[in-house]
Amino acid sequence: MADMPMQQPPGRIVLPPHRVRASRPFSVRAREWVRRNLFPSRNGTILTVIAVGFLGALLAGVIWFVFIDANWRVITENRWLLFAGGYPREEAWRLWMGMGFTFMLIGLTYGTWSSFGRRDHIFVGLISAFVVFLMAHGGASIWSSLWFLLAVGVMYLSYAVTVRMPRELGPIRTLQQRVVGGLLILALPIALMILLSGDASARQLDGFVLNLVLAPVGIVGGLAMAIPLAIGRASRMKTISWTCTAYIEIVRGAPLLGWLFVALFILDDVIGGSLIVRAMVVMAVFTGAYMAESIRGALQALPRGQYEAAHAVGLSRLQALRLIILPQALRISIPPIVGQAIAIWKDTTLVTVILPLRELKGNADSAIAQFEFTPDRIEAYVFVAVVFWAVAFMMSRISQRVERTLGVGER
Amino acid sequence: MTTHDGVSDASADSDRLTDSQDIIVAENVDKWFGDFQALDNVSMNIKEHEIVVILGPSGSGKSTFIRCLNRLEEHDAGRIVIDGIEMNDDVRNLNAIRSEVGMVFQQFNLFPHLSVISNITLGPQKVRHMPKAEAQQLAMQHLERVGIPEQADKYPAQLSGGQQQRVAIARALAMQPKIMLFDEPTSALDPEMIKEVLDVMRELAESGMTMIVVTHEMGFAREVADRLIFFDEGALVEQGTPQHFFENPEEERTKLFLSQIL
Ligand SMILES: Nc1ncnc2c1ncn2[C@@H]1O[C@H](COP(=O)(O)OP(=O)(O)O)[C@@H](O)[C@H]1O
Ligand SMILES: [Mg+2]
Repeated sequence: MADMPMQQPPGRIVLPPHRVRASRPFSVRAREWVRRNLFPSRNGTILTVIAVGFLGALLAGVIWFVFIDANWRVITENRWLLFAGGYPREEAWRLWMGMGFTFMLIGLTYGTWSSFGRRDHIFVGLISAFVVFLMAHGGASIWSSLWFLLAVGVMYLSYAVTVRMPRELGPIRTLQQRVVGGLLILALPIALMILLSGDASARQLDGFVLNLVLAPVGIVGGLAMAIPLAIGRASRMKTISWTCTAYIEIVRGAPLLGWLFVALFILDDVIGGSLIVRAMVVMAVFTGAYMAESIRGALQALPRGQYEAAHAVGLSRLQALRLIILPQALRISIPPIVGQAIAIWKDTTLVTVILPLRELKGNADSAIAQFEFTPDRIEAYVFVAVVFWAVAFMMSRISQRVERTLGVGER
Repeated sequence: MTTHDGVSDASADSDRLTDSQDIIVAENVDKWFGDFQALDNVSMNIKEHEIVVILGPSGSGKSTFIRCLNRLEEHDAGRIVIDGIEMNDDVRNLNAIRSEVGMVFQQFNLFPHLSVISNITLGPQKVRHMPKAEAQQLAMQHLERVGIPEQADKYPAQLSGGQQQRVAIARALAMQPKIMLFDEPTSALDPEMIKEVLDVMRELAESGMTMIVVTHEMGFAREVADRLIFFDEGALVEQGTPQHFFENPEEERTKLFLSQIL
């Protein structure tokens, strides 16, 4: 109603201070929480005991393995092999610079549209501790640790600067959003330029760096193909819709492994280029087909009234698509798109299976192929698995944050 | 000009209509959905500044007809001329007509990802190429006109139904149309919000806007309309002044419909 009290502008929800509700002493509330959530009934108590026993045993096993049983030398001795393998040593500064650039973008993005919470600080702290520990272990160059910490510092610095800018709508805010948004759009080309200019070439991307390059190229390239494909498949012009449908169904009809074979044998004659470039193309083509279907689903889920209202205010077809339909459809399809992104992140390991390319898992294989480290293959694979998990976890956390910031599901 | 007696009565009633032109001319309009005929030989002329209320049972083609007037549906036969521009496949004509005809939907159809003010400035900025500041000023004027300037920075989901519909009206008005189409603008509203929307429409009618309103609000029809038109099974069955309709309707189908609804 018109006489409702003025409310906060959207985006910032202010809750009453937490303490207002917390009138009873902590010990009482803690006891109540424990009783309600852990020992609600006799059967519940039994289940809790079993679960605690199981988790305890698991935790003990993990601690025993990590700190006592395992011999992590296979990782510390091979850390450069795992990280960047055949990337030229004298060009290594490019890796650190690429990392610094990426971290800066993360800081800018969070500072502009979101904010770091306690969990984010803990996550960054844990990762940094892990990386520094890994590098310091066995007396590696102290420079690597310093570079990494410098990159983290850049992230916090760019965050600190942007988060202090005014958030109210206005010319400054608009400019800030445009600059950071533009940087994000250009991020991948810039990062690739940093990594591949000079003496370094795509052929030399190796180890974990290769995973870190392949996946974003697959994700961004896939998204860039998926949007026109989804729109094309929904088009009223039959030739366009049939072409897009055929593309999507053919690509989805074969596994990624199969398409990597295509990259190995067929694409060589068609587009040539280095194996890594061909692998990138295949990743983008493959991801694009899946993402297109997610976006098409969202396009169909939009009420017809949105198209009609857009036409009724006089927007052309293209304007309606760009200003009304796509922003909403992309927002709805964030969860499935992130699902695809996480899938393709893990699937970057497949390039080792088919192509003679050496990403993280491939280089772990090489590490344990050395006679002295053959007994340590479990350590090597556990390490690889944890690294993949950490990145995938980060992706899903970021997507949750994006969903919340954009207000997915709130119509 | 029109075939029915009631119409000339309506025109004579209202002096502000006497010297105005026909801004909408529909002649023998047919519309088919597959092999179902939704409009059957519909003809009507509407004068500038006229307020026409369309009545009829559900499925009688009321929506289909007014959607033909801004080309959300294409008619299959007959002629539609809006303000002298023939409605055909010529894209320039279509754009010209769309910018003269505003439409308000039953389900509001606001753009949920845009703030209230951006909903309103979108058309002026993107279609009329109006500078942003000017468009915002215009939007605020129209928000004031519909009585909710303080909601400008909210998002549609944060407003009540009545407020959303008023924003939708402001959005249509911001394109400065000559004609406003309303397709059951209050049917999706809770009863206590109907009045606030009807009040806005009443004010709009008084300001001289040409309006075609599909509605079941008989009070509004009786009070505001210059002419009532009754549709049934895709055909225009009867038309006349509110007085004619509520006091001595001629057609059996009209009587039956009115007896059910009043
Ligand atoms: N897009 C469509 N496809 C098929 N039939 C339709 C479509 N739109 C409307 N109709 C049919 O046309 C008839 C008239 O519909 P409509 O104009 O919406 O009626 P009203 O608005 O008077 O309730 C109805 O029988 C409806 O089912
Ligand atoms: Mg209808």
